[in-house]
Amino acid sequence: MPDSSTGVVVIGGGSTGAGVLRDLTMRGIDAMLVEKGDLASGTTGRSHGLLHSGGRYCVNDLAAAIECVEEGRILRRIARTTIEDTGGYFVSVSEEDEAWEPRFVDGCAKAGITCERISVEEARRREPALSKHVRTVFWIPEDGHLDPFYLVMGNVESARRRGARVRTYNEVTGFLKKGNRVSGVKTRDAMTGEETTIACEAVINATGAWAGFVARLLDVEVKVVPVKGVMVVLSHRVAHATINRCHKPGDGDIIVPALSVAILGTTSVRVPHPETLPIEWDEVRHMIQEGSLMADGVSTARAMRAYAGVRPLYDLGAEAEGREMSRNFAVIDHEQRDGIAGFMSIVGGKVTTYRLMAERVTDLVARRLGVTTPCATMNVPLNDREDELDQLRNRPAQLGVPKPHGDELALQSLVCECELVRPQDVKPWFEDRAVRTLEDIRRRTRTGMGPCQAAICSYRLAGRLVTDRHQDGPTAIHAMADLLETRWRGVRHVFWGSQLRQAQVTAGIHLELFNLDRQLMAGPHPDPAHAGNPATLTTMAPPQPREGETPVEVATQR
Amino acid sequence: MKADIAVVGSGLAALVATRTLQQAGRNAVLIWPGLSSLYFTYATVDVLGYADDTTVQPVEQPEAGVAQLIADHPEHPYAIAGLDALRGGTALLTEWLGEAGFKWQGSLARNLLLPTAIGTPKPCCLVPDSMAAGDLRRDEPIVFCGFSGYEDFVPELAASNLARAWGRGDQTVRALRLALPGFEPGRLFTSIDLARSFENEAFRRDVATGLRAVLDDGTVRIGMPAVLGLTHDSDVHAQFENEIGHPVFEIPTLPPSVLGLRLFDRLRKHIQESGVEIIWAAPAHAAEVSDGRCRRIHLKSAGRELPIDARAYVLALEDTVDGAMRAGVHDVIDPFFHQTLAHHAVPTERTNESLFKPQPFASIGYPVTDRLQPGGEDGRPLAENVFVAGGAIAGYDPVGTKSRGGLAVATGYRAAKEAMAA
Repeated sequence: MPDSSTGVVVIGGGSTGAGVLRDLTMRGIDAMLVEKGDLASGTTGRSHGLLHSGGRYCVNDLAAAIECVEEGRILRRIARTTIEDTGGYFVSVSEEDEAWEPRFVDGCAKAGITCERISVEEARRREPALSKHVRTVFWIPEDGHLDPFYLVMGNVESARRRGARVRTYNEVTGFLKKGNRVSGVKTRDAMTGEETTIACEAVINATGAWAGFVARLLDVEVKVVPVKGVMVVLSHRVAHATINRCHKPGDGDIIVPALSVAILGTTSVRVPHPETLPIEWDEVRHMIQEGSLMADGVSTARAMRAYAGVRPLYDLGAEAEGREMSRNFAVIDHEQRDGIAGFMSIVGGKVTTYRLMAERVTDLVARRLGVTTPCATMNVPLNDREDELDQLRNRPAQLGVPKPHGDELALQSLVCECELVRPQDVKPWFEDRAVRTLEDIRRRTRTGMGPCQAAICSYRLAGRLVTDRHQDGPTAIHAMADLLETRWRGVRHVFWGSQLRQAQVTAGIHLELFNLDRQLMAGPHPDPAHAGNPATLTTMAPPQPREGETPVEVATQR
Repeated sequence: MKADIAVVGSGLAALVATRTLQQAGRNAVLIWPGLSSLYFTYATVDVLGYADDTTVQPVEQPEAGVAQLIADHPEHPYAIAGLDALRGGTALLTEWLGEAGFKWQGSLARNLLLPTAIGTPKPCCLVPDSMAAGDLRRDEPIVFCGFSGYEDFVPELAASNLARAWGRGDQTVRALRLALPGFEPGRLFTSIDLARSFENEAFRRDVATGLRAVLDDGTVRIGMPAVLGLTHDSDVHAQFENEIGHPVFEIPTLPPSVLGLRLFDRLRKHIQESGVEIIWAAPAHAAEVSDGRCRRIHLKSAGRELPIDARAYVLALEDTVDGAMRAGVHDVIDPFFHQTLAHHAVPTERTNESLFKPQPFASIGYPVTDRLQPGGEDGRPLAENVFVAGGAIAGYDPVGTKSRGGLAVATGYRAAKEAMAA
């Protein structure tokens, strides 16, 4: 007897899985998303956040470029508050780049990408940060920044409003089968170890770089090539628009201004496993060197952290490697290919085209389930309302910079000064069952993503674990330490200049003023699952309604 | 500008060195390279909280602990400065605090064990009077009091954690939270806002009335965020305690540190009033050395060059927080002699994988001679008349042992003595 049942189980909580979940519920199909970590904790949340106009792919990968053009325009309609419409420059800084230009212009024309060559003088007038090495500039108005976290949360919340259920930190460990038909999944809670079964009519494998591992549970093969990319975060935006190098896509040739920071990207290294993502010093150095060729201020800006993500490139059987491989995606119908009914995989692709990927695989599952309602995700905004901004983004940081004086925003209490996160922005997430660690709060609110890297706000969040989530002190303290430790892993790779001063302040607060190191040494962790496994983040117990309080509506009760 | 002795630094080591010189009747100039750590995280003077980086048991007798440390580690800056410097520096600081109008307590004989804002017990040596009632060596129950809308001290967190860590049972630690009189809910309070408000008598009385109304009979002592006055600390604390009718103790909060501000601002003012010139925000960028002596250091102050010619110099830099050391991608360079103090092939080498372990970068500084002179590669002093104190000394990290304050006092005192003799 399964523990619960649904129409379709979506495995994977990245942009694709979130998009599929929303598409299913919009077609009236009951759905549940199962994710082994947190939402947006894999490829999506570790992308560089470039909303692709298609310019980057228009020479080598025309089909992917055309998809980007179309999807970018759709996202500007349905997810406009996850997008910073910065526009972008493609710049040549060498003779080799200049030789690439005719192909680039031609590719843009073929893909339908708006591309305007502007004089270097005009470009400098618009973007004074462009370096002295810049020889030629193309203005690509449809490049921009796409906030991957809000994109995922926006899709998931929209699906939840339609009754979808979400289980984070639940890994699929096996499948239920009736003959050659998949009839459900077995899951295990990564933190409690609890095992459950979910009955369903179909399963969609939207796990990107992990798709092969999921498929293997059914003894079928999905060849996904995990390719690592390293990114460096600078503490301010550096430029007003995205900057791409006008050449054959390579390492370190993108600068994306993203909210309060800028992201330099990226590298392309094939890795043995999607979770083996070491950050090498040569990669970090290369990002900064290459970025400096395009924009002044890259080498002098404060680098705040480095991070690595993994691309889920689908192996179409060609000889191509890494960037040579298509960024296109594929829907695999395992009934047709492997004789396993009720199981589909969606692989390859990129965040910019997540919606189209979701549409294609949802078309297939709908057909199999006999649902004829067509896809409508290209028309309905993520907030499901036409009239106002997405409520997820109704925050001062995203509505414009608050005036320093005379603005009521300036008098409001803040949990995170770096990212202007207010108590009311974090409070609802403490009541969400899918939120299990302070990292999850960070992904949903940006708390802790600014220059202090959680030195200040981690204490306030720990306090809220006690007051809002009713956790005990030791659990809250360990969760605070875990958040700081996770941030530290990224900080270490760019440890020079002001970073040393910041680290001394962080240590001054947490080790000297709070004596946190002694508590971590002395006290056994309150959660036995954590003992001896420092990689596991402290689990918060689910929110419990207390006497006299209105029970929190959690997803599983819907 | 000419001076007898120039002290460079903005933290406790620089203040103690300057006071030592001034007390001895010497003409000192104090040069601040940048913001003081006192603004951020200072609260108490910690001499030795733990014998090493890994022991869990706190040191009870800091002087005895330091003596043992000196015996075990003859290269440690405590050993170079000497126990007498710790004693002399502590006596000087204690006397100075009194003269400047502070009420502090504690001695090298015993550490206090004070609750932090996360509810951990922490060994501290010299502490403001306003913190002392929190001493956990006494069994008395504690009520933590916080304020709605003030995010930087969460009484529920401190109480819940201390109840476990202290081992006196849940009944002995409680938390309560007051709405502050006259403010809309949801408004922003910083520590400095609150500290200013508490200097207002009517405000303080209203808070006291509100607090008394919710205290029960079992209340013995009350722990509050350190916001009891921005400048008139002891007065505000004593008056508030009177109004409550129970001992009240302050707990250091997230930065800015009101306790540090009080200390810093008053000691600075006091030393200025007694005739010491202070040069603000003047990072040094070069020293001129001839015949083994430093003849001049160059500062950049308000955009212009400012050379300082002194007979001797005390470099009391604070690790990296004041920005005096230049941390490039591979090399950390000192601002005076342009020595490479540390070289790292990759920046990650400067750190431990865990934030909560000793950090290699914290030990970066000048190797010193037995007179605290900065040593060159051959072990000889870079300049005979230059002496190093505090975080600028290489080879130790005070974070794990909770010894930053004591090392600042001991080395600041000793460096000043050496400078006078040079």
